Amino acid sequence: MTGDSLKHRILMVSDFFYPNFGGVENHIYYLSQCLLKLGHKVVVVTHAYGSRSGVRYMTSGLKVYYVPWKPFVMQNTLPTIYGLLPIIRTILIRERITVVHGHQAFSTFCHEALMHARTMGYKVVFTDHSLYGFSDVGSIHMNKVLQFTLADVSQAICVSHTSKENTVLRSGLPPEKVFVVPNAVDTAIFKPAVDRPSRSEIVIVVISRLVYRKGVDLLVEVIPEVCRLHPNVRFIIGGDGPKRVRLEEMREKHSLQDRVEMLGAVQHVQVRYVLISGHIFLNSSLTEAFCIAILEAASCGLLTVSTRVGGVPEVLPDEMIVLAEPDPGDMVHAIQKAIAMLPKIDPQAMHNRMRELYNWHDVAKRTEIVYDRALKCSNQNLLERLSRYLFCGAWAGKLFCLVMIVGFLLWQLLELWQPADDIEEVPDFSLPRNCDEEMLEKKPLK
Amino acid sequence: MLDFSLFRMVIFSISNARYTYVHDQKYSSEDVDIHHIVSRSGSAKYVFVYATALLVLACALYLYVLKETSISLVYYSLLFDIFIVKLLLGKPVKKESVVIMPAFGVQLETHYVSGKVIRCFVPIDKILKPVLVECVTPVTCYWTLSLIIRGESEMVLVFKKLRPPVKMLVHVWKALCAATGSKEETFTHAE
Repeated sequence: MTGDSLKHRILMVSDFFYPNFGGVENHIYYLSQCLLKLGHKVVVVTHAYGSRSGVRYMTSGLKVYYVPWKPFVMQNTLPTIYGLLPIIRTILIRERITVVHGHQAFSTFCHEALMHARTMGYKVVFTDHSLYGFSDVGSIHMNKVLQFTLADVSQAICVSHTSKENTVLRSGLPPEKVFVVPNAVDTAIFKPAVDRPSRSEIVIVVISRLVYRKGVDLLVEVIPEVCRLHPNVRFIIGGDGPKRVRLEEMREKHSLQDRVEMLGAVQHVQVRYVLISGHIFLNSSLTEAFCIAILEAASCGLLTVSTRVGGVPEVLPDEMIVLAEPDPGDMVHAIQKAIAMLPKIDPQAMHNRMRELYNWHDVAKRTEIVYDRALKCSNQNLLERLSRYLFCGAWAGKLFCLVMIVGFLLWQLLELWQPADDIEEVPDFSLPRNCDEEMLEKKPLK
Repeated sequence: MLDFSLFRMVIFSISNARYTYVHDQKYSSEDVDIHHIVSRSGSAKYVFVYATALLVLACALYLYVLKETSISLVYYSLLFDIFIVKLLLGKPVKKESVVIMPAFGVQLETHYVSGKVIRCFVPIDKILKPVLVECVTPVTCYWTLSLIIRGESEMVLVFKKLRPPVKMLVHVWKALCAATGSKEETFTHAE
C-alpha cells in the first residue's frame, strides 16, 4: 500500500522551532517525526538560537538547519525581503526538496522562504496555527502579508474549521484550497495518574502563559468567586507572564494564599505532573484557533472547563468539556456544573477515547494527502502567476507584482553567479536503527 | 620541513571547473600519502575586479581633466581601487596539500601564487577524529573537512582557504581515517 505512494522530500520552514517550546514548535517536531516514519525525508530550516547555529540532527535523523540570521522581535527574523534567497536556494537544491511547508502566519522567515520557493517553482504548503483580528493596525498589515504569501500557495492547512474561516476571510484564498487537519497530542506521554487524587478536595489546574489573550483578567474575577462558593476547592496555576502580577494581587486581596498555588513557569516535561495532580482543567482564553492544552488535559483524564471561543468547541466531545461564554458569571456557573459532573468521570476511559480521536500519525497521513494534492498542481510560469497577485488590491497588487519580478531577476542573477550544478547534493544518510541506544549506553546516566 | 616536489607518482585525480584533486605518493612507497587540491580559479573574477577598478579610475580622471574637479578625487579613487582589489582578490592561493605520514603526523600546507608556503603540522596522537562537517553561513552552506584535536575546543580545518567539493574531500577523509585508525561512520554528529 505504501509502496505505491510517492515519497516526498519536505522542507519545514518557520521561525519557531526547538529549542523553543510551544504549540507551533511541537507541531512541527511531531509532524516531522511521523512523516519520517512514513518514509518521507524531512528537513527543518529555522533561524539560529543563540550559539545554536549550523546543522544539527534530531531523533530519527531529522536534519535541522539553524541559519545564522538574528531574530529581532518576538523570535522573528529581520525581514529583508530578498536576504534569505541565497541560503534557501542552496538548501532547496542540496537537499533535493520537492515540497516546502511553512508554518505560522506570524513568522517572517516563513513568508520570505515561501516567496523564494514559489519564485523558484517549488510547490508550497502553508499551515496557519492561530486566529487573528481584522481591525487593529498590526493585524491589517499582517493580513496583507498573508494575502501576498497565500496568493500563490499550492495548498493551505488550518487546524480547525473556525481557523479555516478566519484564514479564508483574511487572505482571500479560495476555500477549496484549504484543508483542515487538526493538531494532536502525544497520548503516550499524557497519561492519567495511576492513583487518582482524592476527591475530598477538588483541585482546579490552570496552565498557560499569563498574558491578556489567555484571559487572565477573567481568572482574576472567577477564582475568588469559586473559592467563596466552594470551600473545598483549590487552584493550581502554572505559567508566567506579564499578567502574573494581577493574580498575585488577587491572592493578597482575598487572602487566598493557601487556596491558590502559583507555580511559576512550568517546563514542558513537568506539565503532565502538574495536570495529574488536579481534577478539573480551566482554560480562559479569549481567542484560540485550536488549543492543544485542553487535549493534553483530557488525555490526562481531567474534565475541562473552557471559554467558548474560536476553535475550542470543535476539539473535545461534549462529555469531556463544559463550555462557557467569556464572562465571569457564566464561567463560575460552568465550574459548578463541572464539579457536579466529576463523580461520573473515568480518567482512563477519557484517555483511551483521546488515543482513538487524536494521534500524530493520523495528522501525518492527512498532511501527506495535502502534499500529494499540492504536487498535482500545475506548474505555472512567472506571467501566469503575476496575474494572481494583481487581485490583492489596487496598490498592493502592483507592489506585490514588482516584488515578485525583482525576486525573479535576482534568482536568475544568482543562477549565473552560482549555477545549480555547483551546489552538491547531500547524500541521504540512513541512521543505524539502534544508534540512539548505543549513544545512551556509552554515556552513563547520572 | 620536507620538500615533496620530486619523484611523484600520481595514483588518482579528479577535476572540476574550479579545483583539481591529485593523490600521489613519494618514491612509490606506500608510507607517505599526499593529497593536493589545486585551484583552477578562472580568470573571470580577476578580469571583472580589475575592469571595475579601471572604470572607477577612468571616471575620476575624466572628471579631473574635463570637468575640472580637484586632483584629490583621483587619489581617493586610486586608494579605493587598491582597497577593492585587496578585499575581493586577497592573496591568491595556488594549491593546498595534505601530507599524511602514518604513525607520525599530518602536515597541512597552503601554497600561494606569490611563492609563499604556510605549513602546519599535527602529530598523529593529537588527532581524535577527522570529520566532514556542513558549515552554514547567512548566505550559503558548504562542506569542510576538519580534524578534532584532543584537548582543544576548536577544530583544525584541513583546507583553510579553498572550498573543494565534497566528492574530493571524501577521498582525503578516508585516507585520514585510515591513518588515524578511526572508523568511517557515515554520518556526522554535532556534539
